[in-house]
Amino acid sequence: MPELTENTKELRIVGFLCNWCSYGGADTAGVGRFIQPTDLRIIRLPCSGRVNPLFIIKALMSGADGVLVSGCHPRDCHYAEGNFYARRRLEVFKHLLPVLGIDRRRFEYTWVSASEGPRWQKVVTDFTAQIHALGPAKFFADAPELDFLKAGEGVMQP
Amino acid sequence: MAIHEQLKKIILDTLPGVECVIGWGPGQDALHGSPVFMRKPEDVDSFMDTPLGAFGAVNNLALFLPELSGKKVGVVVKGCDSRSIVQLVAEKLIKREEVVIIGFPCEGAADLTKIEKALPEGREAGEVTGAAIVGETLKLSLGSEEISLGLADIKADKCTRCKTPGAVISDAFAGIAGKAPEVRDEYADLAALEAMSLDERFKFWEREMSRCIRCYACRNACPLCVCRDHCVAGSRSPHWITQTDSTRDKLMFQIIHATHLAGRCTGCGECQRACPAGIPVLLLKRTFNRGVAEIFGYDAGMDTEATPPLLTFQVEEAHIKEREWQ
Amino acid sequence: MSNKFISHEKLRDWLEDLSARFEVWAPVNTGQDAKGVVVYRPFVRDGALEFARKPVESAKHTVFPRSETLVNFKTGAKDGKPALELHVPEDPPARAVFGLPSCDARGFQIFDPVYNGSGTQGLARDNYYLRRRNATVLIVKACSKVLNTCFCNWVGGGPACTEGADVLATELPDGFILAQVTARGEAALGSALLAPASDSQEKQARKLHEEAGAALCAPPDLSASVSALRGKFDDSAFWEAEASKCLSCGACTYLCPTCYCFNITDEARGVLGARIRSWDACMLPLFTMEASGHNPRTGKIQRLRNRIGHKFSYYPSLHNGRIACCGCGRCIKSCPSSVDIRRIVTDAIGITGTAGLKEQKNG
Repeated sequence: MPELTENTKELRIVGFLCNWCSYGGADTAGVGRFIQPTDLRIIRLPCSGRVNPLFIIKALMSGADGVLVSGCHPRDCHYAEGNFYARRRLEVFKHLLPVLGIDRRRFEYTWVSASEGPRWQKVVTDFTAQIHALGPAKFFADAPELDFLKAGEGVMQP
Repeated sequence: MAIHEQLKKIILDTLPGVECVIGWGPGQDALHGSPVFMRKPEDVDSFMDTPLGAFGAVNNLALFLPELSGKKVGVVVKGCDSRSIVQLVAEKLIKREEVVIIGFPCEGAADLTKIEKALPEGREAGEVTGAAIVGETLKLSLGSEEISLGLADIKADKCTRCKTPGAVISDAFAGIAGKAPEVRDEYADLAALEAMSLDERFKFWEREMSRCIRCYACRNACPLCVCRDHCVAGSRSPHWITQTDSTRDKLMFQIIHATHLAGRCTGCGECQRACPAGIPVLLLKRTFNRGVAEIFGYDAGMDTEATPPLLTFQVEEAHIKEREWQ
Repeated sequence: MSNKFISHEKLRDWLEDLSARFEVWAPVNTGQDAKGVVVYRPFVRDGALEFARKPVESAKHTVFPRSETLVNFKTGAKDGKPALELHVPEDPPARAVFGLPSCDARGFQIFDPVYNGSGTQGLARDNYYLRRRNATVLIVKACSKVLNTCFCNWVGGGPACTEGADVLATELPDGFILAQVTARGEAALGSALLAPASDSQEKQARKLHEEAGAALCAPPDLSASVSALRGKFDDSAFWEAEASKCLSCGACTYLCPTCYCFNITDEARGVLGARIRSWDACMLPLFTMEASGHNPRTGKIQRLRNRIGHKFSYYPSLHNGRIACCGCGRCIKSCPSSVDIRRIVTDAIGITGTAGLKEQKNG
C-alpha cells in the first residue's frame, strides 16, 4: 500500500453511513481528534438497510473512486433487522463489479458502532489506502457531464 | 399422436373455462413463430402450425400473465417458461388459481441468432424462404440454395443447461415428462468474460452498450419485470438515468434491471433474445444468479413456496464472511 | 453528368478523401465475428464496413440524433439578481452517409414536411433538424437482395428507388457504380479517385435493380388505409386482437426510419446543465403521461393503435396521402413478438397482402 502523506492527491471516496452507529462512530473519531485521511465524503442514511446497491454503482459511474458502506454491527441495528437485509444485498451486489470491469476492492462494507472511534479511524485509513493503491477510476469517456461543462462560453442573460 | 396434436386437444378442452389460451403460432416467415392468443376453437388451428413446430416455440409466454391478472387464462409452457410462472406465483404477482398451465416435454428451442450465424457469410435470416425439420437437422432454403443445420448447434444456450425440460408445475401435460437431466450450470459464458482483464471487460461493455437504442425491449420482454408503466428508468425523481445518448446511462439501466432481478431471475433469456442490437444483457443477470446460487444455494423459479433470498435473512449467515475485510 | 465508378480496392481511399469535407458514416459490423450486428458508425479506415447484410438500425440518427443538446446553461447571479448563462452548440459538421438502403433515405422525406415548415398545419421550422438535414449527403446503396420483412414497394419505394437519395450507388462484383441524383450529391462525387462508369457497368447496374425489384411480391392497394383505420378507431375487439402479443417496448419506433417524435428534458448537475432533445416513442407509457399523473393512453392497445394509425391514416391525411412508412420492415424483423405492421394494416382494410419474398413457401 502506498504511504499517504499530506501531499498525496485526494481521491473521491463516498461513504454511506447509518445514522445510529457508524455516523456516530465517525463523530466519535472526530471528537477524539483521531487523524484520518480526508478523501471520504460521508452521506448519512437512516440505516444500512436503506442502502440501495444501485447507490454504489451510481457513485462509481459518476466519478467516485471508491465506495464504503458502514452500519451497525449485526444484532445491533436500531431497526433490529435493517443491516441483516443490507448484508445479503451488498454481498450479492459485490459479484457484479468485476464483471463490469470494476475492481472488486473499490467497494467494501463493514460495521462500526457509535463508540468505536478508533475502529472508524482504522476503517477509513485502510479503505483510503486501498483505493489509493488502485488509483483513480476512469470510467466512460462519453459521460454527459463532459457536455455540460461546455456551457462556460455563453453570454450572461438577466 | 404427435405432441402438438395432443397439445391442441388439451387447449380445446381448456378453452371453455378460460378467457384465452396463450400459445405459439406462425410469425412473419418460416423461421419465426409468434405468440398467439386463442379465444375461439378455430384459433387453435394455427397452434404450432409452423415449419419449426415445438422447436420454434421461442417466446416465454409467462410474460403476458401479470397483465391478464384478474382473468382466468391458459398458457402453454416450456420447462423454462414454467419457472417464470413459479416465481411469479411465489412473489404473489399472479394467482395460481387464475392460470391453467399446459406443459409438454420440451426438447429445446431455436436461437435465431445462431441460425443466422450458421448461414454463409453475408446471408441473413430474413433471406430464408423455407424451413423444415428432418430428424435432427433443420433444412433451410434460401431461394434455390439448400442448407442443413444440426438442431443441437442452433438450440438456445439455455437449453444446453436446462434442468427442467418438463414443466415445474402444470395442470395438464402433453405426453410423458422425461427424467430431469443431471446438468450443472458451469457459467461458461461468464467464465469467458472473466478470462479478460478488468480493463478489457470494461471496454467490452462499453462497446456492446454503445449499440443500445434504449428501446427497453429487454425490460418489456422480461416476465419478472412487473413494474411496467412505472419503471424507474422513466423517473425524473429519483433521476437514475439521464436522457443523453451516453453509454454510461445505457449500462446503468442494465445494472438496474439486473439488480432488480437478483434472486428472482430464472435465466429464461428473453431480455437478450428481445434485444434488437444483440447486446448480451443476460450476462449481467447470470452474474447475480451465480452469486445467489453460491451464497444461498438458491435457484429462482423452482418452488412456489420458497422465499427469495433477498427478501429474508439469517442472523448468522453461513456463506457470508463480511468480517474478513476489517 | 455521367456516372462514376469506384473499385472495392479504392473504396476506403475515396471514403477517406470524402472525410476531408464530410463526417462520413457507413454500415459497420460491430460484432466479434462475421455475423456481428451491423449499425451505422463514423467511417474509420480499418473499420469493418459491411454492405451484405442490412443494418439493424435505420440511418435516422445520422440526421436526427438520439439525443441532442439544444442549449447548455449555467445558473448564477448578476448584479445581485439570478441570471442564466446560455450557450448554443455550434453547427454540426457536414455529413455523408454511405451505403444506406433506399428505404432509410426515403424515411427523411417523411420527416421533412414535419420539420421544414411546409406541413399542411403551418408548422414552425425546426432549425436543429434542418441544419443537419441540409448538411447531409445521402449515398444510397441499391439493395441487391430483399428480405422477408421488406415491403418498400407497398408504400411507393423500391430496392433502387432514388427518392430521398443524393447519390445512388449500386454494388457490382468489382466495385460501386455511383449515379448523382441531386445537386447536393455532386459535392460527394468530385474526387479524382472516381473513374467514369462504362456502358457495360451501367447495364449491369440496371439489371441488378430489376432483379431485386422482381423478387418482391406484388404490393396490395393500401389507398383505403386512411379511412379504414379511422373506421377501426373504436373497434376495441380488433385492436385487442392485434395488440395482444405486443410488448409495448420501443424497438419498432426507435428502429423506424420515419418515427420522428421527441421529448425535451433538462439535465443538470450543480449549476451546469443542458436542455436535451431525445427520441421518444408512442409505444412507451411516458409518451402521453400528463403532469397530473393521468395517462390517456392506458395500455399497449391504445399505443399500438396510435402507431399504426399515425403512419397509415393520420399522417397521410395531413400530408397529401403520403404514408408515413417506408417499408424497411425493421419493426417486424426486430420485434420480440413478431408483430407485423403489414398484417395489421391489411386486416384493417380487409384485404390480404402477400408478405415477404416471392419464393417463400412457408410462414
